[in-house]
Amino acid sequence: MTKFLISALIIGMCYISAAQAKKSEIVVHDSLMEHGDGHLMDMGGAMVMNQNTEKLPESCKKVSGDVEITVHAGHKYSKKFPGTVFAFDKQEWHVKPCTRLTVHFINDDHIRHQWMVHGLPKYIYKSGMFHMEVTGPGKVSGTFILPANDQTYLVHCDMAQHMEKGLKAQLIVGKGGLPIPSVPGATAALFPDTYPSQEEMYPKEVAAIAAKANAAAIATAKAKSARGSGSFFSGTLLIGLVVGLLLTPIMGQRYKGQTPTQVVADISGLLVAASKQLIAISKTLVSKVVALVNKPPAL
Amino acid sequence: MNIRVQSVIRTLVVSGFFVCSLVQAKYENPPSVKVPIGKKEPVCNTDDAEWRKAQTIEGVKIQASKRCSPDRPAFVASVVKGTNNISMETLMDTRLTPDAVIKSDDLDGDGDPDRIEIHLEVTELNGFSPDFEGVVPRFPIAPGVTPGMWVFSPKSRGMSTMSFASIEANPLLRAPSPTIRIEQDDVLWIVLENTHYMPHTIHLHGVDHPFIDSGGEGNDGVPQTSELFVLPGETRTYEIKPRVAGTFVYHCHVQTHTHVGMGLIGMLVVEENRPNNSVQTFNVGGGQVRHSSKAVLKDYDSEYDLIYHQMDKELGNIIQKHNDPRLIAWDMNQRYDMTDATEDYHTLNGRSFPYTVRESMIVAKPDQKIKLRMMNGGSELMAIHTHGHKATITHYDGIEAKPDAQITRDVYNIAPAQRLDLELNTTDDGLHNYGEGLWIFHDHAERGITTDGMNPGGNVSVVAYESWLTEEGLPKAQGRDLTTMFADSFFARSQPVFAGLDEWDTWGAVQAPPEIPKQSNTLAGANQPQVNNQTGWLANLLIGLLLGVALYILFTYREKIFAALKGLAGNKSGEGVSND
Repeated sequence: MTKFLISALIIGMCYISAAQAKKSEIVVHDSLMEHGDGHLMDMGGAMVMNQNTEKLPESCKKVSGDVEITVHAGHKYSKKFPGTVFAFDKQEWHVKPCTRLTVHFINDDHIRHQWMVHGLPKYIYKSGMFHMEVTGPGKVSGTFILPANDQTYLVHCDMAQHMEKGLKAQLIVGKGGLPIPSVPGATAALFPDTYPSQEEMYPKEVAAIAAKANAAAIATAKAKSARGSGSFFSGTLLIGLVVGLLLTPIMGQRYKGQTPTQVVADISGLLVAASKQLIAISKTLVSKVVALVNKPPAL
Repeated sequence: MNIRVQSVIRTLVVSGFFVCSLVQAKYENPPSVKVPIGKKEPVCNTDDAEWRKAQTIEGVKIQASKRCSPDRPAFVASVVKGTNNISMETLMDTRLTPDAVIKSDDLDGDGDPDRIEIHLEVTELNGFSPDFEGVVPRFPIAPGVTPGMWVFSPKSRGMSTMSFASIEANPLLRAPSPTIRIEQDDVLWIVLENTHYMPHTIHLHGVDHPFIDSGGEGNDGVPQTSELFVLPGETRTYEIKPRVAGTFVYHCHVQTHTHVGMGLIGMLVVEENRPNNSVQTFNVGGGQVRHSSKAVLKDYDSEYDLIYHQMDKELGNIIQKHNDPRLIAWDMNQRYDMTDATEDYHTLNGRSFPYTVRESMIVAKPDQKIKLRMMNGGSELMAIHTHGHKATITHYDGIEAKPDAQITRDVYNIAPAQRLDLELNTTDDGLHNYGEGLWIFHDHAERGITTDGMNPGGNVSVVAYESWLTEEGLPKAQGRDLTTMFADSFFARSQPVFAGLDEWDTWGAVQAPPEIPKQSNTLAGANQPQVNNQTGWLANLLIGLLLGVALYILFTYREKIFAALKGLAGNKSGEGVSND
């Protein structure tokens, strides 16, 4: 047992050292140039916008405390959220009102990512935002001061479709406010995906399902036509009546001398033949349409 | 019996006529109504007149751009000099990252940098949002028309939208994928940073490139033969040193049939090597090249990149239907069948008419020579026709044709992925040009002049002579009022195309009878009642027919039937008594 624990520990340490070896590839962007108004940038493209280490929000008498958080972003963090492609390693952070928050943002991917907060007071933060950006693997750090009110702030990466595909989180100050929608693993989406049934998604099942659906559709149509649509004495019924009245004497010639039973039998025979023909035609039509709809995808 | 039948027929005919005449009292149709156009946008949405002027920034000469929406001069200077060789002030005036275009090392000692490293990202336009009903980042190709698209874009910084409050894409994120320009024998590194959620690659179509790069990695962009996919969050560097100049192509080679259709295709121009020849490495949005190469300026007054593209609405819609990448991949790779597709959107430089008037006009003066580099980035044959001009095709797929083979004509056939270099000569000699004016140029495969079937739209643009342009760079057009097209209602199909052509609107909208709109408003039931009606119609006819036959039989054999009934009644009453 002890042996097992020791070997597990060794294996575990190997993993940690491997992870650290990977981490060591991360470029630390710690000498950003100040471009005024809290805008810091270096030639590697790492930047912090609206850095604020001193200006107190009006609602705060003093900074309640200094808090540091480390945030990772990357493709690999999306593993625990099926249906996303990028994610932060955490989706929620809780801080006290008036906290001076320093964020160490580590991007593990080889592309750009951002850690951006919205809804801050605009008299301190231009456009009400605090924004960090770095091309990975890389690390950038920035600081800002949160106001006193209980509020939940949106945190995201604003590159095209990154927030939508998972890079979204919430920063909860005090008791927090209205939650941010569609944060992976935390809150519901306002417009969630509609997932087709397995049968819809997999071609092998399509024919069977379509046949079922067709049968259901035919049954519904039959039920509906049985119910009829509106008044019994419709225009077409009247036309039928007239045609019937006119046709019968002509048919009378044909069936002259025959008993009514024979006549009725003959006519119903004709009608049965005609309807059989009709059914055959509609069957071929339906099968053609079904074939067209269910045409298997080209390889 | 015959007389009886005749009288029945006569009564029916007369009563039928009477009923009909009651229903259609007189020949009177519903009146015309005016359809509100809705909110119009300004025809020209750029008000920075300074950008239109010829100027020099960071020592880079930038040509005047007379069109309404010119390229930002600071951007042009940044991509000519390299984002590593300009002042921070100029760089901050663009949205480029400092490593977007890195230029260094004058390898051949002729006064210009020959080692070029560019960074491309992959951007989705008009995609899905789980947070609101709309698309983001929004890039309309025409008023209110926002098909889902994927494009390559120069590496940029900051938000993908204009601001947090806006859902409009920032100016660097747009169709088409930007034209890349380098010099012959430059060492070009294209760093593909896959910022998108699908796998992609880059294939350098027609450009001189080795199959394997210096590091032994695949360099042809084909996931089946040369390399694996570039996955989200990863990068790959493509290395080339092209020995041949010309107009070429680059495009994604993953699921090429759909990824190219989505917009992952652009032009790659290799300019002839000349001394002190720094070229404009990115032309975002195509159109006028504001800093042409030395070789082009020797023979031409100006230069335009004309990138044509076609898109299927059903394909683009896939990324607006789902958010989950598995659903998007399934829908695009397994469900969508391109062999059943029709192209609905036809763009020139990423937009359709009337937006082409803002961005993709060819601005001309008499007695000029203008170089046009034309590419078909779609999958349909095109036949581009220039009004008022016959241009000369000088190059096919980037390679110069012998003088005898350089054809002067007015329709230019161009197959998918092909390029034509055209010389547009504006000499009024009855052959090359018929004088100044606003001469449109467009696809003569007529589908190309529509946007989802609505005309005017599609890839129509204008060769506009300066004398026919306003200060703002808009055409002094003499035809119909174009401002009505700068409203979402036109391509939403709610404006009658011939509205207001005469005083009483002969071709206007018909005022609908009051009950029709109620029916058409219920979307779900729109088709259902029709089907019901058809079954009802047939059933009623049959029932009527049977009733008619029954009535006739009943009437004709009434005596026999009565007798039979009486007999039956008698039998019934005498049941158990008589055994006859």
